[in-house]
Amino acid sequence: MDDRLLLIIAGSIAGICSGLAAVALRLALESVTEWLHPFRHFWWAFLLPAVGALLSTVYLEKITREGAGHGVPEVIYAVSKHGGLLRLRSSYSRLISSFLTIGSGGSAGPEAPVVMSGSAIGSNIAKLLWLNDRQRTTLVGCGTAGAIAGIFNAPLAGLVFAIEVVLGKWEFSNIIPIAIAAVAGAEVSRAIIHEQVLFNHLPFNMGTADILPGICLALFAGLISVFFTKTLNTSGKFAKKNRFPFWMRAIIGGSVVGCIGLFFPVVLGEGYHFIQSMISGTFTMGIFLTFVAVFAKIFATAITLGWGGSGGIFAPCLLIGSLTGIVFHKIVFLLFDNAACASEGAYALLGMTGLISGVMQAPLTGIFLVLEITGGYETILPLIVVSAISSTMSHYIEPASFYFKELIRKGQFLRPGTDARILSDLNIRELVSTEFTTVSENMIFREFIKILKTSDQFFFPVIDENTGAYKGMIEIRNIRRHVLNPGIYDMVFLNQIMDTDILTASLENDLHDVLEMMETNNMESIPVVEHDTFIGMISKTRILDLYRRELIMQTSVR
Amino acid sequence: MKQHMTLSVFDLSTYLGVNPDTIKRWVRQGKLPVLPKGADLRFEKKALEKWAALHNIRLNLTDKKSAEKQNQEDIPLSQALQNGGIYFNIPGNNVASVLESCVKQIPQVPDDFKPDLLDRLVERENALSTGVGNGMAIPHPRQQLSYLSDPMITVNFLADPVDYNALDGRPVSILFCILCPSLQHHLHLLSALSFCLKDADFVAFIKSQPQLDQLVEQTMVLQKANPL
Amino acid sequence: MNYKLLQIFRNTPFGRETFLQSLYFCKTIHAHPVVYIPESDKFLMYFPNDAIQIDLDSSYLTSPETAKQHACDLFGEMGFKPAFFAPRSFTASTLPDIPTNFDYFCCPRSVSDLSSKIGLGHIGPKVRRIIKQAPFPVLLTSLVFKPWKSIAVFFGGSTNARKALQMGLRIAMVSKLPMDIYTLREKKSQGYYENIIKESDLTAPVSQFLRNWHYYEKSESDAMLYDVPHDALIVLGAYGHGVIKDLLFGSKMEKIQSTVTNNLLITGPQCELSLIH
Repeated sequence: MDDRLLLIIAGSIAGICSGLAAVALRLALESVTEWLHPFRHFWWAFLLPAVGALLSTVYLEKITREGAGHGVPEVIYAVSKHGGLLRLRSSYSRLISSFLTIGSGGSAGPEAPVVMSGSAIGSNIAKLLWLNDRQRTTLVGCGTAGAIAGIFNAPLAGLVFAIEVVLGKWEFSNIIPIAIAAVAGAEVSRAIIHEQVLFNHLPFNMGTADILPGICLALFAGLISVFFTKTLNTSGKFAKKNRFPFWMRAIIGGSVVGCIGLFFPVVLGEGYHFIQSMISGTFTMGIFLTFVAVFAKIFATAITLGWGGSGGIFAPCLLIGSLTGIVFHKIVFLLFDNAACASEGAYALLGMTGLISGVMQAPLTGIFLVLEITGGYETILPLIVVSAISSTMSHYIEPASFYFKELIRKGQFLRPGTDARILSDLNIRELVSTEFTTVSENMIFREFIKILKTSDQFFFPVIDENTGAYKGMIEIRNIRRHVLNPGIYDMVFLNQIMDTDILTASLENDLHDVLEMMETNNMESIPVVEHDTFIGMISKTRILDLYRRELIMQTSVR
Repeated sequence: MKQHMTLSVFDLSTYLGVNPDTIKRWVRQGKLPVLPKGADLRFEKKALEKWAALHNIRLNLTDKKSAEKQNQEDIPLSQALQNGGIYFNIPGNNVASVLESCVKQIPQVPDDFKPDLLDRLVERENALSTGVGNGMAIPHPRQQLSYLSDPMITVNFLADPVDYNALDGRPVSILFCILCPSLQHHLHLLSALSFCLKDADFVAFIKSQPQLDQLVEQTMVLQKANPL
Repeated sequence: MNYKLLQIFRNTPFGRETFLQSLYFCKTIHAHPVVYIPESDKFLMYFPNDAIQIDLDSSYLTSPETAKQHACDLFGEMGFKPAFFAPRSFTASTLPDIPTNFDYFCCPRSVSDLSSKIGLGHIGPKVRRIIKQAPFPVLLTSLVFKPWKSIAVFFGGSTNARKALQMGLRIAMVSKLPMDIYTLREKKSQGYYENIIKESDLTAPVSQFLRNWHYYEKSESDAMLYDVPHDALIVLGAYGHGVIKDLLFGSKMEKIQSTVTNNLLITGPQCELSLIH
């Protein structure tokens, strides 16, 4: 079958499946929130998130044995390093664990789990069809797009998120199937859940006067998003350092979140309800409390995610963003009580965009997501400005976004066509030239001269004639004066003139390490030795040759 | 059904000059057009050509490498002598006239090219004499002669010794003309010949003005004893 | 050449037997054993078309402080230089990636269930999946370390059986041990099987290394399994292409492994090898 047609069909199936997963999680969360609502008034309600986090972490660690990470970075890792291979269990495990975490009141969002399972669905469809890496990553993108499109009813945001954040490559052959998967996911969501827009609101009146405050808000939101990212990372590290067993961590973390929730119910769960009230202008908290609530939500999210809960940062970003917007709006009116600004709700929107763009450093995703979930096209101009400024601001302070930070630190952030990706794809086995005449260490120099006459090698590996073990290297460049001196031809053996201290690489080394070794020691070629056996040489010329081809392969359009 | 030529991983890896592992990885990553059927990977020539053009990759699917290799193989000195032949009683009383009579006699050089070859030989002699001493010289052009099919050395015995500006100042009576289509052969033959001319017995033998088959035989003996 | 075998080390007496067995295998075929001492109870193997998570049972994590020393001792006992594998990349912090570019992989018949279940009659689902996806042959060791003195190839004529035969030839070549072929005839003449050999250009090596070719009728499979020398390494292909063959050869492999105590070297459908490497 034609490649494009195959991808479109498989992609739409992936989109439908991940859309279904998204809708299922959303409905389940809605009903469990309703079911738990009456219990929220009791004094022991703070234990609910603890129980949820405990169940969630036990489920992930002991039943599915996931080895939990954040979700989205894992997908990006799989795409960049392993051609999008994801485990089958990932397609459902995060759904259940995040349901337990968020349903019980943990502060997290359902989007990252849905993205994880959507992309795992796409990857496993590809596995079933024995597709190659390129097609598989496209299907992972399809699953991602379908999931985001399904849970937010936002097909464009799904498409943009899949390409901007997960795949990192705008490519014609990717965009079509992913767009179709996004449509499929959104259609599934519309067919099952009938309300069209996630957050309803009255039309906003935004004019030129809002640009300047918008810019200020963007700077503010950029700062908040950097703070949020840092808090998330610190919390995760802190949790790993302490000696509690994992279930104990979950209980402690959950209880702390529950306690915060007693004072600020706004931090609990994914918080869509509060976002709605903020956008429609019915949010009643005072300026100081709202300001504190921003940080309460940040801490609650950091603790939930760092201490054993499972979920994403999309929804917390939206909530923190709208709180930030409201605080900013209130401050503006406190300073200039006759400011000609739009309503609070509009600023909540701007704040959301600012936070999403700032935390993910994905300006397009921020713009399209907020546009689609609110259906408010009239705010687009300030939205773009806020998104651009906030992501720039956050990028200025913290060059790596939340999703990429860990990957970059481990050197596993490998976008197609980048140096890191090429170096990681080319392995030593592919680069090594193996056709070398070896010489024995007990060979007399005259014999060697004879070999030299008919050979065009610059390097001669010296081996032990009995065991075949590598002993050293003769580099023609270094023995030139001996070669020109026939007087010593019968006087020396090769082990007297060979270099034994030349650095060697092994087949297990990364090309990156090998290149660094060559660079620091100023070598043009490096011998590869494994288990004491000489395998071959790697030369810079050969590396350049293959590097260039690899670059062509990765960057040329199909 | 139309039968297409297909290639294996190993074939393709030699054509592209990469490791078979690289080919397998490219297939896995979906970068190479591969035939869908079969346990072993096969590639269709036509699809590969299209792919190479698209990616701007040089792909030579004809068996160029082995052909080139044959061309590059060193030709033994005896073979070159056999190709060239021996000529006796070459007339002339200075470098230019001797060389002119030499060139005239070589049947392998087309008549149109003979004046040109002579110019080149003389030019080379003017730059630095090729007289190696002991009454012998190795005249040769600096440029390669693409119209020749095989490398050759012609042996010319002069009617009268000529003053050749040789290294030892002695007049020259034997000329070895090295004519080659490629540089590699030229260097090889030059070094092989000068090696032989260091052998006193061989020089004495040459001076006896032997027939071609005797000379070839003697050279072979010398080659066998000293494989270069 | 430079073949490598990956062994997941289990610091228990049972694990020692497995390890000794694979060390013996390496010594005989001149391969280099590389040991991975697990630090968490799971790891991931990325194959070309599948990511397989292997959940180890807790016995793999027994007394980690002595594991390395024990492994070194065993290496030394068989005259090998200790070589350990340290995972370089992680999918999640407790989930290391184990590369799949090894030439052989050694594991007991099951890796994720408790040792008590291991023994005859049970190939773990994960081991089965590895065999199905692996580009390398998998060595399923016997319960107790036992040197083998000959090679028995089970050859039924399928593509996978052909790979097994090539594998057997490769081992016979380097180990200089005699090789026998065992064929269960399925209504076909001996010429049919010999023709397959001819078509795959294996005539010369087969005639060079083959000691005996034993043919059995289809109903005699139990007799065949009994006739296989107790000290032979059995090489066989598993899971041919196609659903029906899959079932057929799948069940055959299960039956063989549940009947014999020998070491099995299994070439899966994705196994890549050539006679001259």
